[in-house]
Amino acid sequence: MTDFLFNVIATELEDAVGKENCSTKTIDKITHSVDYFWLSRMWADRGLRMPEADFVVAPKDAKETSAVLKIANYYKIPVTTWGAGGGSQGGALPVCGGIILDTKRMNKIYDINEEGMYIECGTGSIYKHVEWAANERGYATMHYPSSLTCSTVGGFLAHRGIGVCSTKYGKIDDMVMQMEVVLPNGDIIETSPVPKHAAGPDLNQIFIGSEGTLGVMTKAQMRIYAQPEERRFRGFLFQNMSDAFKAARELLQMFKPSVMRLYDEAETATLIKKIVGVEKPGAFMNLAIEGVSEMVALEEKLLLSTFKKYGAEDLGSEYGEKWWKEKITFFYPGHMMDIPQCYGTMDTIAPYDKIEKIYWAMKEAIETNFPQAQFIAHFSHWYEWGCMIYDRFIVDGKDVPQDPHEAFRLHQEIWNCGVRAALKNGGVVNDHHGVGIKLGRLMKEQYGPAMQVFEGIKKQLDPNGIMNPFKLGL
Amino acid sequence: MQFTQKSREHIESCRFCWMCHHICPIGNATGLERHTARARALGLSLVAREAVEFSEDIVANVYECALCGGCVADCTTGWDPVMFTKEARLGAALDGKLPPYVLKMLANFQETGNVYRLKNENKIPDFADSDTLFFIGEDTRAMGCAKMAVQLLQKAGVDFTVLQDEPSSGYSMSFLIGAAAETKTVMEKCAATLAKYKKVICYDPADAKVMKREYKEWGITLAPEVLTFTELLADLIQSGKLPVRAQDLVFTPQDSPLLARDLEEIEPIRSILSACGEVREMFLHGKETMLAGNLIMHQYMPHVMEKVAENRWLNAKNIDAKIMVTACPAEYVLLSKTRPAGIELMKIEEVILKCL
Repeated sequence: MTDFLFNVIATELEDAVGKENCSTKTIDKITHSVDYFWLSRMWADRGLRMPEADFVVAPKDAKETSAVLKIANYYKIPVTTWGAGGGSQGGALPVCGGIILDTKRMNKIYDINEEGMYIECGTGSIYKHVEWAANERGYATMHYPSSLTCSTVGGFLAHRGIGVCSTKYGKIDDMVMQMEVVLPNGDIIETSPVPKHAAGPDLNQIFIGSEGTLGVMTKAQMRIYAQPEERRFRGFLFQNMSDAFKAARELLQMFKPSVMRLYDEAETATLIKKIVGVEKPGAFMNLAIEGVSEMVALEEKLLLSTFKKYGAEDLGSEYGEKWWKEKITFFYPGHMMDIPQCYGTMDTIAPYDKIEKIYWAMKEAIETNFPQAQFIAHFSHWYEWGCMIYDRFIVDGKDVPQDPHEAFRLHQEIWNCGVRAALKNGGVVNDHHGVGIKLGRLMKEQYGPAMQVFEGIKKQLDPNGIMNPFKLGL
Repeated sequence: MQFTQKSREHIESCRFCWMCHHICPIGNATGLERHTARARALGLSLVAREAVEFSEDIVANVYECALCGGCVADCTTGWDPVMFTKEARLGAALDGKLPPYVLKMLANFQETGNVYRLKNENKIPDFADSDTLFFIGEDTRAMGCAKMAVQLLQKAGVDFTVLQDEPSSGYSMSFLIGAAAETKTVMEKCAATLAKYKKVICYDPADAKVMKREYKEWGITLAPEVLTFTELLADLIQSGKLPVRAQDLVFTPQDSPLLARDLEEIEPIRSILSACGEVREMFLHGKETMLAGNLIMHQYMPHVMEKVAENRWLNAKNIDAKIMVTACPAEYVLLSKTRPAGIELMKIEEVILKCL
């Protein structure tokens, strides 16, 4: 881009969003060049500059977003949407330069609708702020991921996020009513007024999980729930994971707890021991049941009798309560894995007939091919038909090459190995962190010829290919 | 730019941590990613690695923080963005990279004794000597008013004096250039002036914070006992020297971060307001309070500071607040500028005077 053209575009963007909301400053460019993705962090840690946007813009609403996309389309400049940068897959990184469209000025709470049980807000709202708005009126969003404080509504929608109470309340894609979306050509559309209908395919679900490749979500109505009358915790120790899967599956045919987390023996002996204090060997499982007290009492009775059948040791409520209190502590520096370690979370999901097989296949694949890597896992989003594995690899800092290119290669090889083991045994590329630049190459391996459906939608909506290029394998 | 080992450790921890993203009043007002602790830490970590220059815009970013400590209080593991931000300000001063607006405020301070170059038109009357000093503070002397506070102390029979030429506590210098030798000189001068008193009552929590916390860190001995104005008022009500009568009024306290976080003083304003009427809390209060304004930052980021105050009004509106009450002169100025229709704003002394 010539300096002259750069200035032409910069002034047009300034005109679209206001001078103070369009930046070409170094601080803004570097700030938007590193997200939660390990590779971007490692790159910065080695003192290298990640690919940076040429322009950072922050529109205040759909109209300004539309203006930005029209400019980008005219000049054929890439646009990467940025929420709060808490994504772990590099989905918000401007790998091709161009424009970073930061959504956080679109943070208005438009309506707390107590009759319809939803909050209408800009997608740039930090989810914690939406939770505060709900709490002020005595409600809750029930979306409690570890990134609650550092991700936006749009960010969660873009990669299909999930929270710790998902078993009862669902994923983010279950929590949205209607959305406003700006298409790549600048048109502003609204999805169906309700998420359940027979008026054709679900427009919401085309954009949810599309990671900024098909447009920019600018407004959303997110469901709110009554605060539970009671929330009770119960910790259990299973002798092995197989028994825990059987017990959990049986339980889920009767009712849905809110929190359900099963830790493999390795994670029980490390993280759970450190933070929650469980000392015994085995597979720790923590559950929360909540709602109307009478129902909770009945559910607790069913829980205890079901788990007893499978030999679970009842550890009482103390560990579960401690876990709830500390659930976000796990993710702070000093507790969380961090540079110089090399690590990643390869969450996948499958039915109960496959899930354990996937766990052992991934564990074996990682530990055999990368003996320097530790493999730990927990299972934390459960359905009547299956559950998710949150499996992580951790390579100690001393085993991570200092050379950034070699470290890069090691990281990619481990990911290829782990995700391919999941795919081969019936899993998916990812459960709730999304795809981004990290896993785009593996999308075709999962979907095969089905990928042409995504490619066709992309081509129709974004013929110039400006929206978040190379993400999602598109 | 050289960082101390301690600061470097905090920068390295914060640069890839997003957990306090929601808490920054500046970031919430602007929606800009650079106004987060992690963005500031990332920039400074790249400066420390010499991957980027300590350039004009990175220095400016270091000044786009109110040092309110919201992120520090929110951090479960105790990392401290305020510490490294202040150190970066000192670094900018030592490297000769201070932004023009900071240089201007420092020059103002040299010439007029306050960073605003403002002379308050309110003439301070002469007070008889006393061993208790009512310390008005730089912000109020420049653009506030402590008349009602003085009136209240007199009504309570407190024997006190006020200095015509009050020294700066060092708060503004500490805010602008951190732990510079010049800041220490200002603080030492203040401590020397105050040495003859037994008690100092700080009207502005900013001064109380500096005197009670920072002087110690600097190894400066301050002879008199330092009290916050609210602390004293709560005692005066408790002891019956200010016989207030509860009114049919609902008050919502705005906890200044300086009081609630830095000085861990939360109860006095509540005990005063409870004696005068009903207390209705905002959702975020006490240690979790949100800043409602900073006058030094208002000099160079006026619209952002006004948005910060507007956001606090929004919090008050959400709980149907009737009267917001503050004990912080800077917050009072900014809340006054942005007050929406339908909610009143009162200083703490004004509430008491109304209920006597």
